[in-house]
Amino acid sequence: MIGLVKMESFRLLRQSRTYYALAGVVLIEVVVLLSAYYQGNEIIEILLSQLRESFYFEGTLVNGNLITYLILNSMWFHLPLILMIVVSGLLTSEYKDRTLITVMMQPVSKVRYLLSKYLVGILFSVAIVLLLLVTSLGFSYLIFGKGDLVVLLNGLNFYTQSDAFLRILLAFAAGAFSMVFYAVTSLTLAVILKDVTKTWIVCVLFIVISNVLMKIDFGSELLNNLFYFKLNQSWQFFFYPDIPWYQILMKTSLTIFYTTLVALLGLFIFKTKDID
Amino acid sequence: MIFTGEAIYKSYGELEVLKGVSISGKSGDIHGLIGANGAGKTTLFKILLGLVTPDSGHVHFLSSGTKKVGGIIEKPALYGYLSAADNLKVFARIQHISLQKREISDTLDSVGLSQERKDPVSNFSTGMKQRLAIAIALLNNPSCLILDEPFSGLDPLGIATFGEFIRQLAQKEGLCILLSSHIIDEMSKLCTHLSVLKNGEITHSDITENLVGNFLNTYRFYGPHIKQSKVLKDFGALDEGNGMILHMEAVKMPLLFQELGKEDTVVTSMIPDLNLNELFKTVSE
Repeated sequence: MIGLVKMESFRLLRQSRTYYALAGVVLIEVVVLLSAYYQGNEIIEILLSQLRESFYFEGTLVNGNLITYLILNSMWFHLPLILMIVVSGLLTSEYKDRTLITVMMQPVSKVRYLLSKYLVGILFSVAIVLLLLVTSLGFSYLIFGKGDLVVLLNGLNFYTQSDAFLRILLAFAAGAFSMVFYAVTSLTLAVILKDVTKTWIVCVLFIVISNVLMKIDFGSELLNNLFYFKLNQSWQFFFYPDIPWYQILMKTSLTIFYTTLVALLGLFIFKTKDID
Repeated sequence: MIFTGEAIYKSYGELEVLKGVSISGKSGDIHGLIGANGAGKTTLFKILLGLVTPDSGHVHFLSSGTKKVGGIIEKPALYGYLSAADNLKVFARIQHISLQKREISDTLDSVGLSQERKDPVSNFSTGMKQRLAIAIALLNNPSCLILDEPFSGLDPLGIATFGEFIRQLAQKEGLCILLSSHIIDEMSKLCTHLSVLKNGEITHSDITENLVGNFLNTYRFYGPHIKQSKVLKDFGALDEGNGMILHMEAVKMPLLFQELGKEDTVVTSMIPDLNLNELFKTVSE
């Protein structure tokens, strides 16, 4: 299994699209940083106009924590999209290039082979979140310095530098679970759809529909708490004055449960399907 | 027998692709499978290679090794962005083989590839990709090799070279090789055994000599004064270009040459016409 994971990682790192993805993540940060640097509050206002439903900022807030907080919001759409494209590509590219046929002609278990792809997808997702964390904090602090973070979530909340830093770290950690869920889902979609373009389209739809459904109140406590579309927001809970630890724990556990379920579904389908 | 496939059935929806196909091969055999597009060759190969599950029937390989069979389906499928050595390394590692640099070089050498090539295999010619794909198929020492359309995309020289390479694998390594191709001429020269697959059923199967004997009944004769030969005319030969063309059963050949000898007719060349194409047409219908 370790050998399979190593080879999968080796191939992932030898493909140019992996570096396009990394560049894409950094590019998002650079755009936010440059815009904030040159246009300061003005651009923050522009960005806020898209995020105003969830966030509120006031005063001279252009500091490293705020910029990192803005970059953190790429977890709604941009980061899942990049991850889903790259991770689904672990399999769709094998279908497209027919290398999966060559692989499956070797004495290798189908389940182990796909499992290695899931593991590499998970590792890659965590690595990308870490990259985002390190670069966004590093660049933001370097260019804009440190400062208090002000967030509007059920009221205006002020966090001191050290508190903000800790909350940002925890938010990234919680967000990593969501990103892993998206990555695993994309690989399962690749198992089902096989085709690169179809998988990309369905991945985009999945993210858009997830974001829409996340905002809908289903009128049922059970659905609102258990439905997986509601789970991607748990990282935001770290910006409430009193962190709802129980909710975060429950949502994260459910995310892990759904991630496992989706991976098992993918493994079952892959095992039972012919390779043709 | 190195491998046996017995009473294999496979359908896709209403379409019956294989209808009770049985096929086998032993060490050193080069078993050719001839059939029109859609006859079921690739499906049969995929079933033998374990890629597709048959609806019913059995596939059995005698080998006790980790890898019983290797193969190429339709065309070599390799990681185009990796070098030949990296491709070998990746495919070796996924089956728990750790190849050292020396072993990689030796393996590439054994299939006639230069170890100096460090560029991605997407730059390689079809023939080179075929060779690399065979090297990968041979990792872990399978006793059987299945090659689906191995000559596809090769030029005549490439076909001849690759054919010889396959022959060496069977003769020197004792591999049982099962292959399909539309190039019947090459198949009849290369294969020890031929089977014809038509509409999902094996319609003919025999050693190549017999099958060719049964279906070769056209010959072209060349030589000085060949057109004046009464014997050839009596056997029914007709003028054609620089020589004579004769449609005749192969069993009558000794008698014909006996008579030509008596007549003192010099035959400088006698070329069997590719009547296996007729068989192929029958198969294709």
